[in-house]
Amino acid sequence: MKVLIVDDEKPARDRLRQLIDDFEIHEVVGEAANGEEAVAMASSLNPEVVLLDIRMPGVDGIETAHHLNSMQQPPAVVFTTAYDEYAIDAFDAQAIGYVLKPIRRERLERALEHASRLTGAALKELAAESRLESQRNHVCARVQDELRLIPISDISFFSADQKYVCVHHVSGQDLIDDSLKSLEQEFATTFVRIHRGALVAVDKIEKLEKSTDGRTCVILRGDSRPDNRDAGDELIVSRRHLATVRRRLKGR
Amino acid sequence: MTATPEPENTESQAYLPDFCATSTVFIVVLAAELVAILLTIASYDTPGRFLIELSKTSLFVLWLALLSSAIMCIFRSKLESAGKTRAFVLGFVVLLALCGVLAEIALQLTRIFGQSVIIEDSHSQFILRTLGISSIVIALMMRYLYVSSEWRRSIVLEAQARISALQALIRPHFLFNSMNTIASLTRTDPRQAEEAVEDLSDLLRANLGGSGDRTSLKAELEVAAIYQRIEKLRLGDRLNVRWNVADLPMRALIPSLTIQPLLENAIYHGIELLPDGGDVTVSGKRDDGYLEISISNPVAPGETRAKGGNKMALANIRQRFELAYGSRATVDVVEGYDEYAVRLRFPHDENRP
Repeated sequence: MKVLIVDDEKPARDRLRQLIDDFEIHEVVGEAANGEEAVAMASSLNPEVVLLDIRMPGVDGIETAHHLNSMQQPPAVVFTTAYDEYAIDAFDAQAIGYVLKPIRRERLERALEHASRLTGAALKELAAESRLESQRNHVCARVQDELRLIPISDISFFSADQKYVCVHHVSGQDLIDDSLKSLEQEFATTFVRIHRGALVAVDKIEKLEKSTDGRTCVILRGDSRPDNRDAGDELIVSRRHLATVRRRLKGR
Repeated sequence: MTATPEPENTESQAYLPDFCATSTVFIVVLAAELVAILLTIASYDTPGRFLIELSKTSLFVLWLALLSSAIMCIFRSKLESAGKTRAFVLGFVVLLALCGVLAEIALQLTRIFGQSVIIEDSHSQFILRTLGISSIVIALMMRYLYVSSEWRRSIVLEAQARISALQALIRPHFLFNSMNTIASLTRTDPRQAEEAVEDLSDLLRANLGGSGDRTSLKAELEVAAIYQRIEKLRLGDRLNVRWNVADLPMRALIPSLTIQPLLENAIYHGIELLPDGGDVTVSGKRDDGYLEISISNPVAPGETRAKGGNKMALANIRQRFELAYGSRATVDVVEGYDEYAVRLRFPHDENRP
């Protein structure tokens, strides 16, 4: 099996590589030192198993697992952690197992064996059941053939196309797989629906403005886009949502 | 940047004994009787009258002592809430006033019922004598209570420090990660693995053993340096500790297990959460009879240190500094957007080794 190792500490990565090399039936295809790297490498290297450390700076292991689960062909995730206080989170993230540090050869062997028995279909099913109770800090976008994580704090709004949802963030626009409905539920505390096809970050809204034709439009904070005024229908507040939007703006 | 005062340790420690308890009352009676005997022996000049004198004095002294106990029993909780020093001063004043009043009452009673002359002194002489004696006895008692409560507190705090340092060491993430690192190094670099095992042992020894609350700065910095070496193996280039401590007198004393826990917090809450790591700075300087040591680290923006462990270690260090130096030592926290620092300032007696 192809294995991707993810840990922010080099000795920990070395240890896993040593043990996996000993098994001789698995192959380490890459090592990542953080969550972002892990997601990018997973999408380009297509590992079957990801050994994932939980406590990492930036995007931690739990969130990384969720992003990995959103892939077309999700890999089997095995957490490696020094302490089992995270076991419940790991279960929620539908990891197929976890191995405690210091890593024991037999435990790792067993976990990898277990992973190898799972078919792609079973993994997909597991991944689909994966739920993150808390809000994610990033959304995962597909850029060409790579996955990229976009921090939620960089996002000004989501807009729904026919089929995809488009993320509008500090450094551009990207398509993501999440549905607008699930995003609305997940980020209910920070985003507000302004019409059927758009979800705007409440703290990115500067004000509401009446356009000449009597429609209310959202003006974004620090928005230097020259075409903001005539950004089309994207940021028009529908009559049905106007009261809610006003209330959210007042309440912030 | 703002300095945020840490909340006081809310765990209330009673420093006045419960005067309503039978055991305390017994001790009060015993002490009062001893004082009565002392006074009688001192003034005893007529042979054969010792017991009579003693019973007279006992009657008066016991009366004072038991009523004082009753007053302390009633007002104990009020006094304790006033703060330690104030509680003792207030207690002293209240008890002394009570003794004065009781002396006056006793005098009036003997005037009314006095068949034989029980009190030979003149009015003012008697009041003054009572006040004089009772102020000394009350002051001694207060001092005793104060010292013994301080002593109890220092034992509790010292034990807490040991336990929390041990817990931090056995804090699973540190111990298990270190073990994992060592397991990895046994293959890639056996020599370094050997050193890591030695360092870990030294660290355990420093935390387990050690006698007395204070240690030399040199020893304390050494423990912190060992800790840093172990973490450095794990975190590599992400961890960099700068020691600007050349200015400090290495023989100066400092409460033990203070710098290492702070360094640990700096790494656990700061460096480990930064993808590129950063510099922890430990710097120290002398300042006119005081020593100042600060430990600062970068933090990931937006990360707040709401972690219980951090607060506990800090509160403990603060209490032990207060205990060792009173109000002459300060433990400040400076929390910025992307930086966090703890500054210790405590007196240093240049003349003592």
